[in-house]
Amino acid sequence: MSARSESVADREPSALAVRGVSKTFFGNAALSGVDIDVAAGEVHALLGENGSGKSTIIKILAGYHRPDPGGEILVASRALEPGSPDSAYALGCRFVHQDLGLIDSRSIADNLALVAGFPLKWGTVRDGELRRIARRDLARVGLDLDPDLLVGALSPAERTGVAVARALRDDASAPPVSLLVLDEPTATLPDAEVQHLLSMVRTVANRGVGVLYVTHRLEEVFQVATTITVLRDGHRVARVPVSSVSRAELISLLVGTEFDDVHRVSAELPVEHDEPLLVADALSAAPIDRISLEIRAGDVVGVAGITGSGRESLLSVLFGAHPRQAGTVRVGQTSLPPSRPDLAMRAGVAFLPPDRKTQGGFLDLSVRENMTISDLGPFWRRLRLSRRQEKTEVTSWIERLSVRPPAAEAPLSSLSGGNQQKVLFAKWLRRSPKVFLLDEPTQGVDIGAKAELHLEILEAARAGAGVVVSSSDTDELAALCHRVLVLREGRIVTSLAGSAVTAAAISHACLGADLGAGVGVDDGGIS
Amino acid sequence: MSATDGRRFSFGLQSYSGLYLWATFIIVFGVWKPDLFLTSATLHSVAAAQAVSAMLALGLLIPLTAGVYDLSVGAVTNVSAVLVVTLQTVHGVSMGPAILAAIATSAAIGTASGFIVVKLKVNSFVATLGMATVVAAIQTIISGGTQPFPPSGSAWTSFTQQTVLGFQIIVLYMLVLAFVVWWVLDHTPVGRYLYAIGGSSEAARLTGISVGRWTWLSLIASSTIAGTAGIFYASLSGPSLTFGQALLLPAFAAVFLGSTQLRPGRFNVWGTLLAVYVLATGVQGLQFVTGVQWLNDMFNGVALLAAVSFAVWRQGAKGRRRERATATDTQAEHPVDADVKQPVGS
Repeated sequence: MSARSESVADREPSALAVRGVSKTFFGNAALSGVDIDVAAGEVHALLGENGSGKSTIIKILAGYHRPDPGGEILVASRALEPGSPDSAYALGCRFVHQDLGLIDSRSIADNLALVAGFPLKWGTVRDGELRRIARRDLARVGLDLDPDLLVGALSPAERTGVAVARALRDDASAPPVSLLVLDEPTATLPDAEVQHLLSMVRTVANRGVGVLYVTHRLEEVFQVATTITVLRDGHRVARVPVSSVSRAELISLLVGTEFDDVHRVSAELPVEHDEPLLVADALSAAPIDRISLEIRAGDVVGVAGITGSGRESLLSVLFGAHPRQAGTVRVGQTSLPPSRPDLAMRAGVAFLPPDRKTQGGFLDLSVRENMTISDLGPFWRRLRLSRRQEKTEVTSWIERLSVRPPAAEAPLSSLSGGNQQKVLFAKWLRRSPKVFLLDEPTQGVDIGAKAELHLEILEAARAGAGVVVSSSDTDELAALCHRVLVLREGRIVTSLAGSAVTAAAISHACLGADLGAGVGVDDGGIS
Repeated sequence: MSATDGRRFSFGLQSYSGLYLWATFIIVFGVWKPDLFLTSATLHSVAAAQAVSAMLALGLLIPLTAGVYDLSVGAVTNVSAVLVVTLQTVHGVSMGPAILAAIATSAAIGTASGFIVVKLKVNSFVATLGMATVVAAIQTIISGGTQPFPPSGSAWTSFTQQTVLGFQIIVLYMLVLAFVVWWVLDHTPVGRYLYAIGGSSEAARLTGISVGRWTWLSLIASSTIAGTAGIFYASLSGPSLTFGQALLLPAFAAVFLGSTQLRPGRFNVWGTLLAVYVLATGVQGLQFVTGVQWLNDMFNGVALLAAVSFAVWRQGAKGRRRERATATDTQAEHPVDADVKQPVGS
């Protein structure tokens, strides 16, 4: 726990003041009158689950989104011009995103200079000066590294530190940095590295910079932050000093205590307890650490966990999209070798990758080609692919999944996200696989299409397939799954089943609370 | 909707600009030099002279469909021509086995390129450029640096020069090849796999397509076709030590120009052939008007730059449209990535 007093915010000048900022996207409120106050020299944690409006507020600060009229944002007491990235920069607002934007093959000094410019004399880079400036920049975050080291050779925490140092760099055209926004800086860091990064964050704050620290990891909040703002469903539900809140209370604030009234269609599905369709044994592939699981016919199993928990890679490793370090995967009696998606497919596995644009679909090819590429065998007649039969099948899938527009020859890229995903669903459904591995199946999909996709998933399970859904959307898991496996640090830490599968319970388990602990704490008491 | 949605016939410049350009060339030069240009002799000579270029372009088309460059086709064409002649005139091999040996050599070169690209994971541009240089060296070893004499005997020349309906038979060979490549790319699963790999090799891999195998085979195909084209060239025009590299650029120009025609945005067989003959018609017409030496190079170079610039610009325009579409898409359907979920409870 931090010993620092909450009164810091009152004594110090303001680094950031957000007043009554709202943002509506086509009638959906993403933010409703949110206030955030960050004092100079403090680390202020911004917490919220997926969908709480956290990313929206950060994108507003960065000038990427324009807030609804009415609110006000002050950076170091000067008004931010809405929707202008230049204004955010000019007021001394800096961002370090999860993607650090560093060039691995260049030295630290070069990386630092690429944004702010190289010191020159007669058009030639002054190497001595370049190194001197780099050392000064690194010292600012408490790093003592040789500026000639390649960024690729650094540890993950050091790389983040270099990115922070670069963000904090002096710029003659702008006032000194007053606010640093760190967006989940530790999401992909191994535990041992986190402490190093936290000490850098403290160094930065001690120099008088206000730090807005966005994270999912509650341990860090207690270690590094002075004050916490919690967002839920677009509202600020609490602004509390770290010293006056317990971990359990914090989780209740994050998750809320509302009842889970999402219709649980899956609850009606019987699970047949026969031979498992898919068995994974002691599967390892960083960060996944010896995970074993069994999927049976009719099962809809969810995989939950925060970023970096192994949730993002589990299905890829099962299918062979990502390399496997150890362990076995068996489908029926067939053992699947690592990194062989083709053999996994032949054994009856379907895999919907999380990234539709680069892994899932062929954007420049037509809807028809995207759908039928998964199995062209049925159309191979008399030494050619029968376009007519192909067309007939594609049309029936377009109708069944109501793909809009219903144009088989339109390039996939011309469809909306939800319709693209329907096409990719059809691509796998037509193979009638035994096991579906669905990675973020409805990310970036509109509500209507999402419901339709959910029905297809359940229909496949009813027809006797085993389904595994990995999702960062706890509501989706709660609505779909019989069972949810919760991952933390690469291991399954909790398995929720039956009526215990609620969005709140999943979130609690993801964040590392004991089941039920703290649920029921009254939000109002703290905020 | 009909099966031709994606390439609906339009009078616009989009897909058929090549046909318009071709018609323009024919009319302009026809009016300008009717006695030279509008003759069946011109027709037959352009058709035959471009058949080798067209075959080279068809070969190149296959790996390009899968997103892989083969810069060695020019060198392979040349070594194959030199080899098939040298075997006959210097080593006394008869025509049939000499042809088979040249084709086998070309296939072996393609196999080696494929190994370097697929197994050693070298960028195809670099790998095939290096291979082209190695092949050029092998050619010098085979020929000893002197231009070999063409084989005597009418069988060798009539192999390509025999006339069918006024055209030299090489034109027919080329059309047969075009038909086969078209069949493979447009009507077999292999074609689908190649286009898929060219679209996104990662997505192709996750759809169970053996990306490495098809990439490798595409390089073997391009090399083998290039070698065959070389044999035809040797029979048609006699062996030369340098013609191959000169054919490489026009072949690329034709394939890229072809990808803006008939089925824009896609490398395709008939677009490629159209491009070959539009360029050839333009060059031929201009040659009747002026006799300058640099015409051929200038015309092909400018056409390649213009075609690729146009294709890139079009791709960019498409990308911008897509970005706009997805921007509205995500905002309308799912504000800010995964950040807004359905409200739970009340």
